[in-house]
Amino acid sequence: MMQFLPPWMRSGRVITGLVIVAIIAICALFAPQIAPQDPNEQDLVATLLPPVWVSGGDAAHILGTDSLGRDILSRLIYGARVAMLVAFFASLGAMLLGSVLAYIAGYFGGRIDSIISRAVDVWMSFPPVVLSLILMVGLGVGLRNVILAIIVVDWTRFCRVLRSEVMVVARRDYVAAARLVGFSHWRTITREIVPATLPLLITLVSLEMGIAVIVEAILSFVGMSVSAQTPAWGQMIADTRQFIYDNPWNLLFPILAVFFAVFGFNMLGDGLRRTLDVRVTATQRV
Amino acid sequence: MLATIVPLIGRRLAISIFILLIVSMLLFLVLHVLPVDPAAMSMPPTATLAEIEAKRVEMGLDKPLPQQYLIWLSQVVHGDFGTSIHFRRGVLGLVRDTLPATIELAVLAMIIASVLGIIGGLVLFHVRGTHKEPVMDFGSILLLSIPEFLWSLFFILIFGVALQALPFTGRLDPDMRMPTGTGFLLFDALASGRLDIFWSALEHMILPCFALGIAFSPTIMRVLRSSLIDVYQEDYIHLARLRGLSERRILVRHALKNAILPTLSLMGVQFGFLFGGTLLVEVIFSYPGLGNLMVDAVRNADLPIIQAVGLAYCLVVLIINTVVDSLYLVLNPKLRLR
Repeated sequence: MMQFLPPWMRSGRVITGLVIVAIIAICALFAPQIAPQDPNEQDLVATLLPPVWVSGGDAAHILGTDSLGRDILSRLIYGARVAMLVAFFASLGAMLLGSVLAYIAGYFGGRIDSIISRAVDVWMSFPPVVLSLILMVGLGVGLRNVILAIIVVDWTRFCRVLRSEVMVVARRDYVAAARLVGFSHWRTITREIVPATLPLLITLVSLEMGIAVIVEAILSFVGMSVSAQTPAWGQMIADTRQFIYDNPWNLLFPILAVFFAVFGFNMLGDGLRRTLDVRVTATQRV
Repeated sequence: MLATIVPLIGRRLAISIFILLIVSMLLFLVLHVLPVDPAAMSMPPTATLAEIEAKRVEMGLDKPLPQQYLIWLSQVVHGDFGTSIHFRRGVLGLVRDTLPATIELAVLAMIIASVLGIIGGLVLFHVRGTHKEPVMDFGSILLLSIPEFLWSLFFILIFGVALQALPFTGRLDPDMRMPTGTGFLLFDALASGRLDIFWSALEHMILPCFALGIAFSPTIMRVLRSSLIDVYQEDYIHLARLRGLSERRILVRHALKNAILPTLSLMGVQFGFLFGGTLLVEVIFSYPGLGNLMVDAVRNADLPIIQAVGLAYCLVVLIINTVVDSLYLVLNPKLRLR
């Protein structure tokens, strides 16, 4: 069955990851069509309802309601929007910033390399959560700033790993040959080095998407992400946690949503690491 | 050996101090593009504009930014981190009260992460090439996908709410008083001979420490496994086999000794992440450490605290990294060449 698929997809992990990510992406794109109710509509008569299979549940709210009587399932579906937007743009931005610096540092070496490496050292001495919180204080809350904060914090993840890979590739014979033939630095990097490091880059982006989902959840948990009107998983965790004794079920759903998303991205990343890497043998790929 | 190591460690130390200086500059810069006015915030709401302006001058906020930074830096070097706008207390005292709690939490969690990571790495290595490998591999991705704050919430749901087996708020039972001393509660309790306090403190630390420990163990597992696989390609392992040594002896005496080095350097990096991870775990468990102080400060835009706590986090991470790097130099003779 796998033969009909392109080589990079011939792995149970890649397919599992893609399916999970696709489900969440569809929830995000078509939230108004899928969600049974308005995520912000309050029903103060029916607050903190348990899910429908627990006694006291209401069929109108399949997964129950939060402290303001808002439908949890609808909020989860709308919450996928913030999670996916952040995952997509933050990881893309961090990838661009980190990889450009990594190519420059790894290819040219010398002084510019040591400056970039020192910058990475400075960043690494900040615990990521602490740095992103401080940045959110400086930037102010909002979706755009969350994405910006994650880019500013996480570019080092790309830079660190990619730089050493670029250093290895840049010393290969075909790169020297390209230079001898008269390729410019720009052309050597874009035509010879980038393609060789692309598998690693794609894997890192996939893993970073999972990290971005976690960071956004953390920031919205402490109320430093999107505004209170926009449904976000971290916010839902913070809200339902206060009523953990009245209604432990409702805390479980946003937790599972975050886990599900991160697991999907990690499966995808781990699978791609195997299927895209030319050095891994066919048996190790499955 | 010492003659070659000391200059290298000295160099490492100098770099760390340099990094700390840059970090302090960045912190200052980020927090001073803020749209809030610390002078207005530190005054009662009835203050007139002229009074606020006078306060601005008093706080040095009318001076150019580089000069403000130098004033702040010289105060910090003298141990003056300013006064919290919200708590109206010296910031240094606040940090000193909360830092030991966080360090205690992080160290215990790191021990758990290391033990779980090393055991897990050995298990993963042991099942390589067997039919159990895909299952274990899948398990390690699953573990990798659950960050510390999700573990914290899971544990609260299972052990706190459902089983009611362990406490999940604060550092001590509400009817107990903190013993005075270093602030390291486990140590203070033992030093004052209060075993009941020691147990209560330990009980309160079990859930947060395991949440952190489990979250940070999978990376250690995976690195140990792959470095063991690398080491087993080396000639000296084949030689040891030819000499007829048992597999256990080869693993413990030859392979593990070499494979633990990359794992150790990873643990240094991991400890940095783990130390940052305590922030949210503390908030979830209402554990009175740096993390709770930081989040309170962030919510109140309390700049002096944010600056000092940010610096405290970086300082601890830098100290840990310096110690681990130095240890690495002592343990790995290959790095001492040059």
